[in-house]
Amino acid sequence: MIENGFNRRNFLKVLGWGGATVALSGCGNTSVEDGREFVTSYAETADYIIPSIGTYFNSTCAQCDAGCGIMGRVREGRVLKLEGNPESPINNGKMCGLGQAGVQAHYNPDRIREPLLRNGDRGEAITWEKALELINEKVGSVNPENVAFLTGVVSGHVKALLNNYLDALGSGHHYVYEAVAPSVVRASNKKAYGVEMPRLSMDKAKVIVSFGADFLGAWVSPVHFSQQYARFRKPDNGERGVLVQVESKMTLTGANADRWLAIRPGTEGILALGLINSLAAAGLPVSEDVAAAVGEYTSDRVSKDTGVSAEHIAKLAALLKERSPSLVIAGSAAEGYAHGSQNAAAIALLNQVLGNVGQTVEAPSSVPFPQMAPSTGNSFALQSLSDDMAQDKVKVLFSYGANPVFTAPAFFKLKENLKKVPFKVVFAHYMDETAVEADLVLPLNSAMEDWATLMPEYIAEGAQLNIRQPLMEKMYPGTLGVGDILLAMLKQRRPDEYNDYEDFYSYLRSAMVSNKDALGGADKDDDTFWETALSHGVVKLVGEPVNMTGSMSAAALVVPAPFAEDATYPLHLIPAVSASMRDGRNANEPWLQESPDPLTTIVWDSWVEMHPKTAAKLGIVEGDIVEVASKSGAIKAQAYLFPGIHPDVVSVPLGYGHEAMGRYAKGVGSNAFSILDPVFDNETGELAMHETRVKVTKAGQRVIIVKDEGPAGGSQMGRRIALRIPSNKVNLSEEV
Amino acid sequence: MYSFLRLSVLLVGLVVSAGSYAVKAAQPLTTADDLGPNVEQPFEFPHDRHAGDAADGGMEINCMYCHTYARRSIVAGIPPVQKCVGCHQNIESVREAPRIKKLFEYWDAKKAIPWKKVHDLPDFVRFNHERHIQRFVFAQGKPVQEACGYCHGDVKKMTVARRQKPLSMGWCRSCHMKDHRIDATSTKTSQGPNDCWQCHK
Repeated sequence: MIENGFNRRNFLKVLGWGGATVALSGCGNTSVEDGREFVTSYAETADYIIPSIGTYFNSTCAQCDAGCGIMGRVREGRVLKLEGNPESPINNGKMCGLGQAGVQAHYNPDRIREPLLRNGDRGEAITWEKALELINEKVGSVNPENVAFLTGVVSGHVKALLNNYLDALGSGHHYVYEAVAPSVVRASNKKAYGVEMPRLSMDKAKVIVSFGADFLGAWVSPVHFSQQYARFRKPDNGERGVLVQVESKMTLTGANADRWLAIRPGTEGILALGLINSLAAAGLPVSEDVAAAVGEYTSDRVSKDTGVSAEHIAKLAALLKERSPSLVIAGSAAEGYAHGSQNAAAIALLNQVLGNVGQTVEAPSSVPFPQMAPSTGNSFALQSLSDDMAQDKVKVLFSYGANPVFTAPAFFKLKENLKKVPFKVVFAHYMDETAVEADLVLPLNSAMEDWATLMPEYIAEGAQLNIRQPLMEKMYPGTLGVGDILLAMLKQRRPDEYNDYEDFYSYLRSAMVSNKDALGGADKDDDTFWETALSHGVVKLVGEPVNMTGSMSAAALVVPAPFAEDATYPLHLIPAVSASMRDGRNANEPWLQESPDPLTTIVWDSWVEMHPKTAAKLGIVEGDIVEVASKSGAIKAQAYLFPGIHPDVVSVPLGYGHEAMGRYAKGVGSNAFSILDPVFDNETGELAMHETRVKVTKAGQRVIIVKDEGPAGGSQMGRRIALRIPSNKVNLSEEV
Repeated sequence: MYSFLRLSVLLVGLVVSAGSYAVKAAQPLTTADDLGPNVEQPFEFPHDRHAGDAADGGMEINCMYCHTYARRSIVAGIPPVQKCVGCHQNIESVREAPRIKKLFEYWDAKKAIPWKKVHDLPDFVRFNHERHIQRFVFAQGKPVQEACGYCHGDVKKMTVARRQKPLSMGWCRSCHMKDHRIDATSTKTSQGPNDCWQCHK
């Protein structure tokens, strides 16, 4: 044993001298390494390709479904950095952190590189010919009724090919699944306004009241809304807009609001009706049936039900009355309950009473090519698929752009139901939880190697078709684009129609060029039209504003009373959708794991966010590992105390807790999807994401939370760096 | 025992650092030549034939006709094979020469020729061709071969290029410390940048 030997002090001395030695000797001429490396050279190249100078190519971001235009900087044949495409009206040249991490999806070391066929519990590499032959054989051997496609949001020519394939089979089983989507709001909008997603003109509004819509962080099209928000805050002329955020757990948008109101979970609809009542009392003209419907929602009662003080309700009503037009948005916090549809309807009614429909809630444009319009998804689709699988109705399942084994709550029993499907084909980038269950895994090109057209759900101006084009050569020869795979599958079914197309690129080009008149290229020859489309990255289409022909019936609107107390599971669980993690599909990109959550600054882990008062009651301090148990399951994570949350609520971010997928995602945090309770929206049948009741208990361990925030818990240690006043000292009507 | 170990480690450190410092200090600011190693290339490219003086049988082609990126980019670059072929497809007289046959083999296969770097600075150094060419060739009006030759030597007399100068920091500084006229007509002069971060990444 070394005793009294080379201790720390001596170690440091030697380290110091060694360091000085290296520093003094420096890096001499020896580093001029003549003749070791190759010069970048080309056989043929375009004039604009200059070594060491980046060239930008336009494409479309694939990190979420908002469809922002991107420009990739390409140097010496490699994509280095992404920027926003200024020509896309969705993001106008801007980009978010999630989008920036797109290069890590492309260069990711965990990508699958060749088709894998299940052999026992292993995947065996096979050729594409064999994989496609196998698909042909399996699909051919079953009743077309038993073939099902599960996808995420699809649009553009990939959707057209997919529909043609289903058509060729004679089966219509296409389940579009989005784990985190405003599907109840879509249904409610459809009813109230006649369109699923109206255009929200935040820049025209003077007040925005958002019921839990995190439009600056993760809701629908955050980069677009952030720019609208900037104009709303600082209009060219007129007053600075006022944002009031009503939610039970503070989101990034809530943190930016002038007034953040912590509301008792699920009572958003009551507050909306209460506001109508107050507005009517203050003299805003409302129709008789509306007045009758909201008559009993007096300020006192609403205050008691929602936990929002009568004073704040009065101020908010005064603000809304004074400043018109305003905009009221129903977000995920309002729709995530069994009565989510009613909440959303009440909020839509508030918009109508305020006269916002047609002013700030505007009609979107019609889509000239409905077969390419986006198919948006919901959780009901997965529920139906899961039921069909349980009843042995699915013999061949294709899965693309979704990871249902990870995102489905445990009560779905999706993994067991999947086992009943004899042949499961998963199109995947990584060996994620769903790919692990597959019989055949088909490796996809990254979004930076692929061809596609996309039509986003939320388009800022007119209609548009986004182009996705390769920014560099494929990293691995064994991957294929989803369009190429679908085309190959279609060739098996409809050879006469599709054999002429060598690959998806030639199909896409010919499909676009043959429709160039409708795509704004009537005056151009084929090549010019195609080159123009590629260089712009966006094809702007002419569409007429659709008619907003919704109807709102105040009489039919019933918003239930607040939740009853639950002695066993006293707390509400809010599964939080963070700007970086979303539903967890990008969890294997280390930049996203590493970028701190905007509110808690935590990195590389899940956490249980709770109010300091609640924590004190339970004897929990920051860093305690706690168990969050619902009727459907339990997870463990570190506790984080945060005042921006209702005391009856705990919140766990989604997207963490992967059991597979890759080295950066696997084993990081816990999966909040798994413990959600089987509660569904009454009208749409959507999974009510915010309905889960939980109890929180200490699990015994305590850890140091890894976060950017200082060790003093974000306090300023008496240094008056950012001055603040308590929220109850702010007079909303004067301040804002 | 351990104090002996400590002492020896410290002594070794001292000796090595002093020695290496001596080497550094002895390195003069020099324009002297320092011939680099012979670099084996896929095939021999006769710089003398292309750029050499007409009297010596050369064609006097401007360096930047082929190294076209030098005036526009950090790197001078190697021309794409299409540029070689652009001329050589019309030069029947040497079409069957072994080097030209090699060239057309690459061209027919549409493959880039894997040239090796002859002047390869360490990765922490940034050398910008564009700045030097713009200053010496375009502002001062120096002949191209002279300007390129400051660092690359008399390439027009070589076949395969070979490093002629040390390309060390002291050597760079020897020129950056001189007064250079700011353009062809002015009598004003300036020196090359002296900031660390101009060249060091």
